[in-house]
Amino acid sequence: MLYLRLARGYRVADLGRWLLTATAAALVAGFLLRALGRALSQPAGGSLVRLLWCLPPLAAVAWFAAVAARAVPAGRPERITGLTAAGAGPTRIRALIAGEIALACTLGSLLTLLLFLVLRNNIADASLAPELGMGVPLPPAAPVTLLALVPLVAGLSAAAAVPVSEALPGGDSPAAGASFGALRLAVPAGLVLVGLALELYGLRPGAAEDGRPIRLPAGLGSTSPAALIGWALAALGLALLTAPLLSWTGQLLALGRPAPLRLLAGRGLTAEAGRLGTPLAVFTLTLAVLLTAIRYWVDKPGTAETLPAVEGALIVGCVVGAVITRITEVRNAHRGVTAALIQLGTAPRLLFGAALLRTAAAGTTLLLTGGLTAALAAGALN
Amino acid sequence: MSAAPPDNDVLWARGIVKSHHGTPALRGVSIGIRVGEVLAITGPRGSGKSTLLGCLSALLPVDEGEVWFNSAPVHTLGRAGRERLRRDRFGFVGSEPHLVPELTARENVALPLLLAGAGHKAAYAAAAEWLERLDVADCAPRRPAELIQSQRQRIAVARALAPLPPVVFADDPTAPLHREAQEQVLRILASAARSHQLTLVLATHDPELARYADRTVAMVDGRLAAPVAPVVRGASAVSAGR
Repeated sequence: MLYLRLARGYRVADLGRWLLTATAAALVAGFLLRALGRALSQPAGGSLVRLLWCLPPLAAVAWFAAVAARAVPAGRPERITGLTAAGAGPTRIRALIAGEIALACTLGSLLTLLLFLVLRNNIADASLAPELGMGVPLPPAAPVTLLALVPLVAGLSAAAAVPVSEALPGGDSPAAGASFGALRLAVPAGLVLVGLALELYGLRPGAAEDGRPIRLPAGLGSTSPAALIGWALAALGLALLTAPLLSWTGQLLALGRPAPLRLLAGRGLTAEAGRLGTPLAVFTLTLAVLLTAIRYWVDKPGTAETLPAVEGALIVGCVVGAVITRITEVRNAHRGVTAALIQLGTAPRLLFGAALLRTAAAGTTLLLTGGLTAALAAGALN
Repeated sequence: MSAAPPDNDVLWARGIVKSHHGTPALRGVSIGIRVGEVLAITGPRGSGKSTLLGCLSALLPVDEGEVWFNSAPVHTLGRAGRERLRRDRFGFVGSEPHLVPELTARENVALPLLLAGAGHKAAYAAAAEWLERLDVADCAPRRPAELIQSQRQRIAVARALAPLPPVVFADDPTAPLHREAQEQVLRILASAARSHQLTLVLATHDPELARYADRTVAMVDGRLAAPVAPVVRGASAVSAGR
């Protein structure tokens, strides 16, 4: 009841979070129910593989839920202060935020279940019959178990992500400009180098004799183990390197004797590299993989499949949502400093210019890592 | 429009009314501040000190009334004009340091000078000098997160003083400090004002700290109360209420 009262104070950002969570949950529920329907109509084989294919979108929803939950306290500090003053402890606040996300997921799942049940009643086209398991009695526990999975996973990941120490008034905010240790740099760099070497070995001129024994899903043809593992290692290394690279980009931007524009843009990027690095790395990796797949599908007509494309769109939606949420969180955390800069007489145009310059510099870095990931993926495919 | 303000007042306000989303903060405040004066505005929390400082320092637009700076109207200025005034003519210390977390202490102090278009070398030299004066020279290459609150507040004071603005506003600048540090910071603020002919407008809830001021006015419920301290250096027009 309290939760519903709180929901009355919603703004656009909260509604956007709600809608994206509910939509994504509805789509994941659709994938799960389709796997169930196929398992009912064809109990013979492949049902486990189809169920496993639901994991990437489920992970994407959980990732978005975690990023969104983390951003809630910074977005509405007065709400958290009010709840704390009213006696809600860290556990209650965590439960409220996670509960909100679980509720949105439940709503989306229920809508999909409703659609599934309605379509099963011989309303759908006969071509959809095997997907829906039409004509086969539905064990009631099966859809309930599957659909409980979405809110449960999203809610738990949200609960784990809420920063309690920061959420509470007077709590410590994370130190800006966390530096990256030697191990944090050496491991990803090593992964990239090993991955590159493996992929080059897999693509050497005489590699055709090795054959391409691994058949890729989603109609992407086949590839050799060396090329695939090499690409995976390099992509992981590049993703892990994104945050340090962003930090270095910021340092490069503020090199020499910077004017306020360059100083604020560069130092700001360096300071936020740790927080922005992870969502941006996930975003770059996802986009690189998806664009490579789309290019392959376009080059070889007839290979494209609908379901992987829908899954890809859902994952990109969640990842973009996570990036936007994190950027908003960083901006909210910076609110006091922006006010102080305005008080010093800084023109908003200068702050806007600094943000623009920072975005352009970060975009260039991401284009490099993403471009390399995509080029290696294309190499492994062909 | 009324008659132009007296020439010897650097800041002059008449009948300022200001409310925050309907909550009245100032209900008709008139005040004149002379060049080179150290003026203390005392009053309990919520009496409107901060809002008055905000209106005088061109941060907040007034709802009604007039504010003049050096015989030029401030209340008619647009946002860009008020920004320029804050950047080029005013310094501000709040009760929280509000330093830019990603910049080092030195860069934080040099920032207002850089914003005003000063050269790199001059800005950093001034920053180093003021950090030295405030006893935080060893903090210069460090970021605010690595420092303790009193060091951060001294850096904020250095940031306000480094460009040597004609008027420095200090809104309860000693709030986060212990007793000894309070004395030191106020002494430095007052002596910097005297030696560089700056005008210092100091808001404080602690009437004891007002002894650094040439003149003290008290605020109650958004209005100026009668003057509480004898005027030390010449009288200025202070009227209570409307």
